[in-house]
Amino acid sequence: MKYLPLIWSGIWRKPGRTALILLQVALGFALFGVLQGMKSGVERSIANTRADVLYVGPGVFGGTPLPISYADRLKSIAGVKTVLAADGIPTSYQNPKQFVFVLGIVPTDDYLTLLPDIFQVEPKALHALRDTRNGALITQDIGKKYGWHVGDRIPLTSSVLKTDGSGTWDFQIVGMMTDHETGEGGFIVTNYTYLDESRASNKGTVRNFYVVASDPMHAGEVSSAIDRAFTNSPNETQTQSFRELRQQQLQSIGDLNFAIRSIVSAVLVALLFSTAAMMMQSIRERSPELAVLKTLGFSDRSVYAMVVAEGIMVCVVAALVGLALATGVFPYASKFVPGLSMPSDVIGLGVVGAVFIALISAALPASKAARLPVVEALAGR
Amino acid sequence: MRLTKQYGVLLRMSLMGVTARLGLVLTIVIGVTCAVGVLVSMLAMGVGARREALGNVRPDRVVVYSSDAQNTQQSSLAKDVAAQIPYLPGIRRNASGKPIVVFLVGAFVQARYKSGREGGFLVLGVTPGLTDYRPELHMTAGRLFTPGLHELIASNKCATQFENFRAGDRKHVRGSDWAVVGNFDNGTAVGLCTVYADAETVLSTFARNTYNEADVMLESAGQFAAFVDAVKANPALHLKAEHEADIVAENMQQLNGILNFVSFFVGTIIALAATIGAANSLYAIVDSRRRELATLRALGFGAVPIIAAILSESIVLALPGAVIGALVSWALFNGLSASPLNSSFHLAVTPALALLGVGWALAIGAIGGFLPALRAARVPVTAALRAT
Repeated sequence: MKYLPLIWSGIWRKPGRTALILLQVALGFALFGVLQGMKSGVERSIANTRADVLYVGPGVFGGTPLPISYADRLKSIAGVKTVLAADGIPTSYQNPKQFVFVLGIVPTDDYLTLLPDIFQVEPKALHALRDTRNGALITQDIGKKYGWHVGDRIPLTSSVLKTDGSGTWDFQIVGMMTDHETGEGGFIVTNYTYLDESRASNKGTVRNFYVVASDPMHAGEVSSAIDRAFTNSPNETQTQSFRELRQQQLQSIGDLNFAIRSIVSAVLVALLFSTAAMMMQSIRERSPELAVLKTLGFSDRSVYAMVVAEGIMVCVVAALVGLALATGVFPYASKFVPGLSMPSDVIGLGVVGAVFIALISAALPASKAARLPVVEALAGR
Repeated sequence: MRLTKQYGVLLRMSLMGVTARLGLVLTIVIGVTCAVGVLVSMLAMGVGARREALGNVRPDRVVVYSSDAQNTQQSSLAKDVAAQIPYLPGIRRNASGKPIVVFLVGAFVQARYKSGREGGFLVLGVTPGLTDYRPELHMTAGRLFTPGLHELIASNKCATQFENFRAGDRKHVRGSDWAVVGNFDNGTAVGLCTVYADAETVLSTFARNTYNEADVMLESAGQFAAFVDAVKANPALHLKAEHEADIVAENMQQLNGILNFVSFFVGTIIALAATIGAANSLYAIVDSRRRELATLRALGFGAVPIIAAILSESIVLALPGAVIGALVSWALFNGLSASPLNSSFHLAVTPALALLGVGWALAIGAIGGFLPALRAARVPVTAALRAT
């Protein structure tokens, strides 16, 4: 501890230069934090997604939708706790670029507790939806985007036509919900019966079922049992857990792993060189001062330790600043990847990395300082 | 004249001292190498993706689809509407005098990639005339599919991504057995796995009754405006026409936007760090030359040549970094196939990208060298000469 003032004055001998190196290392670690955090965040987000909620859809994307009568057959499959039907139509508001997905559900109380992974809703709003045939629940985001409020009547245009031949669908906003899954464009929730009774084609069918397995450990078996039950029927199914779907959704970021790895290593190598060169220069300039310390009785080893401590202090402080910056960026990143946050182990990894960089880059300057020939250094040679 | 002469002398002195200050010089070079290398490599993804997607685009090709659809996948083209499209003006005719119009319906088929991950490919059902519309398509094995049969042809990319896509293989799609009867190459674009089959067979297999889009080849690119007017003139059709290039660009927009944002975001942060590193090193270089610089000032060297010389030194030291960075990026990543965001393409490190890297390095050198150069010019002569 008594060396602390010495180390401190060593760091701030050239304040401008120290500030620059602090900034440089901080930037490097900010980038490390964002990239590595993204990578680990994605992995964690997948692990946190429920494996016991299954999405049962048509075996072929774009194929005919499933008949709603499948719900009863699904309920009879062993290990199935709850079955919920959902359908949706793509619509747009005012112009084709303003895409709104309309999700039609049967608003049972199951949605209150069971599927926060799709959306969260208060009992009052759910009951309001149940009471209004063409009712709709909206998220705060979409309400802000288009200036919608509870009580508004909104006309949406769709390529799915109604029985009267028109593609204009009216919805009455009756409440709010919080969405969890989809970040893009946004969606609204309405009654399945309204969708199904109004549309001209595909009556009595659904886009998919949500099935909750009673035992998360055996969700995989339930999933294959469902697909097996409908093989060779006119409507084969494809069942995947929410976790599998999430994994596919985030796979693209996983594919960038090689890029992330290259960038992070390039940054660390550059930092290593920078800090090593700057410390070397600093030791060169300070050799008379170090010689004085040695003359006063400081051992070689303590001079070595002081130089290393200086390096560690600068690197760790800068790394913490950088990682704090990265953590600040994450709320924005979560707009692209919902549910992403900075994993704490990345911060730990960053600090360890900072110590590592400091140890390597200080090794040469420190041993040079330790082996400094006192007489020559004092003479300024 | 005197100033340029002074500048020349100063620059030579600076550069001769490079070997004596190797550590600091290397810091600049390596910092710039990393910054340029990362930027160029990241941008190479976007460039590669664009190059492959736009490789085949022709100005005389037009895509017609529903006017209320956001994109061609959402569009639906009823057969009675489709029947009217070949009578629109300006459409090129093939050797036998038929208008070159191809109707297309896309159906997604889920499949597992060779890598083991879930994904899928699009089966494009096309009406006769595909080879008139896409002359760049040439068969590398087998033959074209026969209308009415469960036959398909697959681009060579498919065979590298999925199992069972070579000519002669069989494919299980929607409960029926399909024969892969040919493989083809789409010219310069390798892009995604593309599968063509007969439109009517696809429609019946997937229980659909509408096409997605009509692909039309015009007599010349100049006919586009007249064609669009003719499409608009009949509002009952509910159709719109766009250049093939616009459709491709629109499909690319999201991918490109993300790739470019990430590239420049990451590139800027690294460049900033490299700039700070360069500035720091130059400060150290200037500090170690204080006496030398003071002596020169005492001999009558002006402030402007000193600033110019230090700035030039900084830029000259940054340039090798740019060259090495671009070279490393080229050696490591050029032609490497990547498949982020569900599209696969090859990275392309082009001369334009290398030039951009050099520009980036010049900026790093100039900005990083500015403050140290000012400091060098302001060395207090007497104090610096007295200092040890």
